[in-house]
Amino acid sequence: MTVKTKLREIVGPDNFFDDPEVLSTYSRDFSLAPAGVPNYVVKPKTVEEVQKVVQLANKNRLPVVPTSSLVHFNGAAIPKQGGVIVDLTRMNRILEIDEFNRRVRMEAGVTWEQATKALAKKGFRLMMPLSPHPMRSAVTDHLEREVITNTVYDYGEPLQSMEVVWPTGEIFRTGSASVAGYPDSPSKGGNPSGPGLDFYRLLQGAQGTMGIVTWANLKIEYMTTMDRVLFSPVEDLGYTIDFLHRILRLRVGQECLLLDNTDLAALAAESWPEDFEELRATLPPWTLILVLSGMARRPEEKLKYEENILKDIIKNEFSEIHLEQNLPGFPGMGRKLLPLLRQPWPRKTPYWKNRYLGGCQSLFFITRPAMAPQFIDLMEEVAAQYGYPVDDIGGYIQPIEHNRACQVQFDFFYDPDSEVDMELVRSLYRDVSSVLASEGALFTRPYGELADLVYESATGYATALRRVKKVFDPNNIMNPGTLCY
Amino acid sequence: MAISKEVYKVLEAIVGEEYLSSDPVVCEGYRSGPSGYEAGLGYERVMTKIPGCVILPLTTEEVQKIVRVCNRYKVPYVPYSTGWYGPRSHCHVDDELLIDLKRMDDFEIDEKHLYAVVGSGVIYSQLQEEAMKRGMYIIVGGGGSQCSAIANMIGDGWSPLSYRIGLPHRRILGTELVLPDGELVEMGSLALQDDPFWGDGLGPDLRGLLRGFTGLRGCLGIVTKMAIKLMPFQPERLEPAGISPHTSLQLPVNRVKWINFTMPSKESMKTAMFEMARAEIGAGVTKVPIFWRAIAKASCKEEYWDIWSKESEETIRDFHLLRVLLVGFGSEEQMEYEERVLNDIITEIGGEARRTRPTDESWFKNADSAGMWLMCGGYVSVDYVIETLEHALPHGENYAELKKKFTPPLMPDYGDPGWFQSFELGHQGYSEFLVYWDPDENTDGVDQFYLETSKENIRKRFYTSLLGPHQPLYLTGPAYGPNYHKWMLAVKDEFDPNFLSHPPVPLAHDEFVEKAEWMRPMKDWEGPQITK
Repeated sequence: MTVKTKLREIVGPDNFFDDPEVLSTYSRDFSLAPAGVPNYVVKPKTVEEVQKVVQLANKNRLPVVPTSSLVHFNGAAIPKQGGVIVDLTRMNRILEIDEFNRRVRMEAGVTWEQATKALAKKGFRLMMPLSPHPMRSAVTDHLEREVITNTVYDYGEPLQSMEVVWPTGEIFRTGSASVAGYPDSPSKGGNPSGPGLDFYRLLQGAQGTMGIVTWANLKIEYMTTMDRVLFSPVEDLGYTIDFLHRILRLRVGQECLLLDNTDLAALAAESWPEDFEELRATLPPWTLILVLSGMARRPEEKLKYEENILKDIIKNEFSEIHLEQNLPGFPGMGRKLLPLLRQPWPRKTPYWKNRYLGGCQSLFFITRPAMAPQFIDLMEEVAAQYGYPVDDIGGYIQPIEHNRACQVQFDFFYDPDSEVDMELVRSLYRDVSSVLASEGALFTRPYGELADLVYESATGYATALRRVKKVFDPNNIMNPGTLCY
Repeated sequence: MAISKEVYKVLEAIVGEEYLSSDPVVCEGYRSGPSGYEAGLGYERVMTKIPGCVILPLTTEEVQKIVRVCNRYKVPYVPYSTGWYGPRSHCHVDDELLIDLKRMDDFEIDEKHLYAVVGSGVIYSQLQEEAMKRGMYIIVGGGGSQCSAIANMIGDGWSPLSYRIGLPHRRILGTELVLPDGELVEMGSLALQDDPFWGDGLGPDLRGLLRGFTGLRGCLGIVTKMAIKLMPFQPERLEPAGISPHTSLQLPVNRVKWINFTMPSKESMKTAMFEMARAEIGAGVTKVPIFWRAIAKASCKEEYWDIWSKESEETIRDFHLLRVLLVGFGSEEQMEYEERVLNDIITEIGGEARRTRPTDESWFKNADSAGMWLMCGGYVSVDYVIETLEHALPHGENYAELKKKFTPPLMPDYGDPGWFQSFELGHQGYSEFLVYWDPDENTDGVDQFYLETSKENIRKRFYTSLLGPHQPLYLTGPAYGPNYHKWMLAVKDEFDPNFLSHPPVPLAHDEFVEKAEWMRPMKDWEGPQITK
C-alpha cells in the first residue's frame, strides 16, 4: 500500500487531498515567504488520526507541516520540503469551559471568533493580541507567543497544559493534564509545568517543528463590568514611554498600547478608503490608548481610584500627558476601539492589516521601551533609502509586563498584485531586520529568513536547540527547513 | 575510584589551590544534615555521601572547565549552592566532586526594567532586601530566605504571595546554563546580546530544560547566572523589628495589611478565594493550618509537641482561618477599595475578621521553613501541588486519610487536610501536605508514606510536584504524560551521555527503593535497570 493510500485510509477519502488546486491553496499565505507545495493534505478529526498520520510520515520520513487555520501571516505553515499538511481545522471543538477554575480547553482548530463568542455567553474573555484575524487559531497564537494587549495580570502567560503528538507519533499531555485518564480526573490541567521537564516551553514558538498540539488549556478572565477608554495624543514618544513606566507598575488599567496614525486609522476607519485617508492625515503621529475597567464588585470605586492615581501623576510629574475619554477631534473613538481590543476583527470586513493595499508584512521584535524611538528612526532611515513612504508604515508599540519590555511592530503595506511592490517590501523587510538586529532588536519569534539572521548570531542556542529537536524528532520530519532545523 | 592526583592538579589549575580541597574535614562540612528538610530519613542515610573533593569556582568559564574535566576523567559531580533542599542536593556517589557555587555572587538590579541578575551564590534575603529598597518585591519561596535564589527559582519558589505575582517559571529571564558536557547555553536575550532582560527563547524556549515543575536537582546542568523578574511593590518601607528569633517586619498598614478571618467552614474558605479572584483583589491569600500556630508559639521542640498534643479532631475540625494580604500597590485609595470589597465577600460568606497584628513574620522576608524544622525535629512535604482549587481540597483530604496508616511515627494531625491556597489570581490552587515526626523514633514509616503518596496520586489521578528526581522515576514515569520518564532520560542521555551530573539522579529514588530493605517490599512496578 502506498503512503497516499494509507493517508487516505486514515482520514477517509473526503479528508484527503492531492488535487493540485487544493495543494496550491497551502503553498502561500499572507506573507512574502516563498511558495512551497505539499504532496498531500489531510484533515484529521481526532488525535488518533493525527497520531496515525505522524507515525506513517515518520516511518517514511515524509515531512509533516501542521496547520490549525488557513490564515497565516509569517510563512510558518508553508511547506519548505513538500510532505503532508496536517490541517487541523476540523478539530475545532471547545471541549470545556471551566468557570470555577477560569480555563477553557479547546482544540487547535478553534478560531478566535468561535472562542470569544462561546466565552462571552458565559461572561468570560480570552487575553488577545491586537485585533487578531477572526479565523486564526486561538491556541496557535498563544503557542506562538503572540503578545497580548493586556498588561495588568502579573502572572502573564495564558497558556496552561496541552496535548501533543510527538514527531514519533506518541501522544503526550503536558503539565497537570499529564495524569492518567485526563480529563476524567481531579486534575484539571491548570498547571503548565512538568512532568519532569517543562515540555510546554519546548512547544512554544516552535512553528510546528516539535510536534502537533491538538488541544490546550488557556486561562480565561471575567468580562469587565465597566470600562473607560482613555486616549492621549503623543507629542514625545520617549516622554510617554516614561509615563508608562510610572503608571503600569502601579497596575492601573487593563489594555494599554501605542499606535501610530496609520495603524490606528486602519483599525478605526469605517468607510474605506475615505475614512482611512482622513483619519491617517489628521490623527496624531502616535496615540496612547489605556483602558480602565471595573470588575464584578464596586466597579465605580475601582475606576475612581485608578483615575485618581492617573490624575495625581499627571498633575505632579507628567503635565504634558493629556489623557481624555475622547481623542480630540475624533468623537466616538473609544466606542469604536473597545470592541477591537476585546474581540477579534469582524469577519465581514477585510482584515485591518490588509485593508490599505491588500498585503501587509509585519516586522516585530522585543526591546527595552526606551529603545523603541531609536528603532523607529533606524527603520525610517532604511525605508527612506528604499523610497518607501514613511507615512505608509504602520507602527505599534505594545508594553509588556508593567512596561519592563515592549514589542515594537512595523507594518509594511503593499499591493499583492504588484511584483515590484512585493519585491521592494521583501528587500526592505530584510534590510530593516538586519539593521535593527545589529542594534539589539530581539527577534524571539524568528519567522522565515529571520531565523538565519538570529541563529547565526546565537550559535550556542541553536546547537542546543538542534540537540533537543533530535531527541523528539530524530528523522526531522516536523516542518523541516524551518527555524534552525 | 578516588579523585586522582592528576585530576586534582588539573582542577587546581582552574580555580587555584585555595578553592579546591579534598581535606576530609572540609568534605565533612558538606555532609547532608544533621537537621533540615528531609533530614534523618532513609533517603539521606542510604543515598547521600560526603564529597571526595570540593571546588569553588568563581566564574561561568571556570564551571565550564571543571565540567569538561569531569567528563574527560569520568568524575561524577554535583552542583551545590546553599544545600537547603536537604539530602537531594548532596553527593550521592563515592568520590564525587561537589561544585560549590557560593563564590558566584554577582548581583545587579535594573530597577526600571524590573529584574535582578544574580549568580548562584546570591540568596533570597539579599535579593528581597535590595528589591524592597527600590519599590519591588519577589517571592521568597518556602525553602526560606537563606536559599540560593537561582536554586529555588529552578526548583520550587512559591508562597502565599504567588496568589498575585505568579509562579517562578514565569519569572525566569535571561539565563546561563552550563550543560553536563560543559557547553554553555545562554537563554532568552542573553543568547543574542549581553543583556538578560528578556526570557523567552529564540523560537522554542530552552527554559523547558530548567525546571519541569520542581526541578531537576542538578542532573541536567548548572545554572550560573539568571535574571529574575521582580514585581512592583508599594513605596513605603517595611521596618524590621524585634530581637532574633522573634523578628518581624512592621507593616505600613495604610499600604500593606494582613487580615485574618475566622471562617465557618473549609468550603467557605474556598468560596472566599474564588470570590477574591473574581473581583481581582488581594496580594496573597492562604488557609492557615492550625499547626502553624503551634510552631509560632513554641520556643523549642518539646514545647511544640506539648502544645500540639493538646489539639484534637474537634479543635481541628472547627478551625478555619483564612489569612489575606492586601497591598495598595497604586495608592492608599486602592487599599481602601480592596478592603471594602474583601469585607463584602467575607460578610456574604459568614466569616469574621479577627484582630491581626500589623506585622509580617514570614512571607515577605523569611519564609518559615527553617523555623518549622527546628520546632518539630523532622519535617518533609510529602507533596506540594499546584493545580486548581478543586484539585487542592480533595488532594489534602485524601492524604489525611492515607496518613492514618503511618501515624505513628508521623505526628498525628487529627485529620487536618494540610495547607491550601489560591495561586495566579484563582487560576490555580495549591495544596501542601507537610508531615512531622520525632527523629528519635524509627522513621521507616515516613519513607514508606512518602512513596505511598506517589502510588495514591497515580491511583486517584492527582497531579503532583514530586515527579522526576523526587520519587521513583519508573513508578511515576509511565503514569504521567504518559511516559515522561522516557523523554526525560532521552534528553539526559543527549546532554549527559556519561551520566556524571549528579548521579544517579533522576533515578536516585529508584535506587533508594532497591537499596533500602524496608522499601523493597513496596516495589510493584517495572525497572529500571540501573547500570550507570
